[in-house]
Amino acid sequence: MNAEQNKPTRREETAGLIEYSTENLVPFGPIHPALKEPEYFKLILEGERIVEVIPRIGYVHRGLEKAAEMRPWVQNMYMFERTCGICSFVHSLCYGQAVEGLTMFQVPRRAKYIRLIIAELERIHSHLLWVGLMGHWAGFETLFMWVWSDREIVLDLVEAISGNRVHKSMNAFCGVRRDMPEGMEDRIIERMKHMTDRAHYYRQIIDTEETMLARTENVGNKVDQETAQKLCAVGPMARYVGLRHDVRLTDPYAAYDEVPFDIVTRNEGDVRALLRLRLDEIVVSANMISYAVEHLPEGPIRVKIPPVIPAGEHSSHCEAPRGEIFYYVRSGGGRIPERVKSRQPTLANIPIALELLKGQTLADVPVVLTAIDPCFGCMDRMSFLDTDTNRQWTWSGEQLRLYGIKHYFPERFKK
Amino acid sequence: MSETLLARITTFAAESNTKAVPLRKGETLVEVDQANIKIFISHLLNDLALRHLATITGLDLGQNLGITYHFIQGQETIHVRTSVPKTNPAALSIVDLIPGAILYEMEIHDMFGVTFTGNPWINRKLLLPDDWPADLPPPLLKTSKPAEIRKRLGLETAQK
Repeated sequence: MNAEQNKPTRREETAGLIEYSTENLVPFGPIHPALKEPEYFKLILEGERIVEVIPRIGYVHRGLEKAAEMRPWVQNMYMFERTCGICSFVHSLCYGQAVEGLTMFQVPRRAKYIRLIIAELERIHSHLLWVGLMGHWAGFETLFMWVWSDREIVLDLVEAISGNRVHKSMNAFCGVRRDMPEGMEDRIIERMKHMTDRAHYYRQIIDTEETMLARTENVGNKVDQETAQKLCAVGPMARYVGLRHDVRLTDPYAAYDEVPFDIVTRNEGDVRALLRLRLDEIVVSANMISYAVEHLPEGPIRVKIPPVIPAGEHSSHCEAPRGEIFYYVRSGGGRIPERVKSRQPTLANIPIALELLKGQTLADVPVVLTAIDPCFGCMDRMSFLDTDTNRQWTWSGEQLRLYGIKHYFPERFKK
Repeated sequence: MSETLLARITTFAAESNTKAVPLRKGETLVEVDQANIKIFISHLLNDLALRHLATITGLDLGQNLGITYHFIQGQETIHVRTSVPKTNPAALSIVDLIPGAILYEMEIHDMFGVTFTGNPWINRKLLLPDDWPADLPPPLLKTSKPAEIRKRLGLETAQK
């Protein structure tokens, strides 16, 4: 090997291979067309086990916080709704609540109920999407197909109420833009009953089916409550270790103080606990929607507010499907905000995800990373370098998925 | 519960020569000197059991850069604000107290240029691109104009 070849290439340098030359490094990500959030993880392996993970995010950072400082208050609401393609409504809800706190106006009671119905429909749809993806990465494609067909029921309801499947654009300051269509009550209640049955059925599958048991039981590094709290975990990632962390319960917004419900917590501490937790939450959400539809109060749905927001600062937090989201707004008393800060649940959950991966095998990486629900799937281009033999190869996400399935069920690949 | 929490924070703020200002129901703002920030936060963690740090917000306050730590417990939000001068934006890291703060500090480093002493990953980029020019001002400062940044990065044609 001559000197020219020994010189590290730019690609190796950016991958951090120089830093960790004695261990194997698997760069993970970052771009995948099907993703909302490309993320890049440097996985440092010793043999088959992961010893350290280094995150690098920001590939789709569009500078929304800077853009918000140049747009009127109302435009920002619909801009922040575009933050996520799954939990879009809750962003506009949380930003709206933060701004409403600066004004003197109150949200009408009917609007609060409609907000709750949309937010819970969104939670069911997000959780179902995630359960389907777990089935896909675990090698149980039938579950993926079934769950995503059930997700269509929720999307149809959302479309019937708001006119859109994904970006509902339902929120306005101090109210909602559209009323509930008339004669929808029976349909929603019947669909929610069906959804509850399906969630119970999937729950049974998770607990008994061989593929799901092998891929999820005792998978994922166990994290105790103390660690989860120190790492500022939110949402399901806090509840699955037994912490009662749920904004809907601890600081009720919208109509959550009027609708009876209880949050779900688990304490097994593996990936299967997350599956059980999210499926149980679907049942809780379905019951809440049925109750809210039956008890929907009469009255106005919106109060018009002036475009100038009084000076001051305010923060608001809401429970998105993935956990707590947080908005901070600061007004100088004009038509344009001085500062808007938004923090999404995935950013808060990345430190605990890194902890969850430690000590796991490369074959479990797709399942464990999907388990935190980070909108993650950016595995379509992974390159591997074995530093002992200097052998380098590239796997697509599909190849990694097959590797994981083969690791657990080698007999399926024997002819 | 919330009454006592507020009372205890007010007492402790008075002891550290600062003031707890109630913004509205359930929200309190405490301004703390940069030198005392770690003592104050460790007190919040250990004595008041305020465990959940929602996030850290950077603010452009003109001469200074504000760093606000948002602690949430139940229906109470405590904003702890400290400020560093723009000419020397160096702050103390709280990663040893709250390990979950590591990414939030990296975010403020990228967006406002504040260096947190004690954060092991502070020199890594989190959000900005790898080839972000070192002499460009941090993007979220009020003096940074998007048009200038676009021009500098050779993106002005993309805007049209």
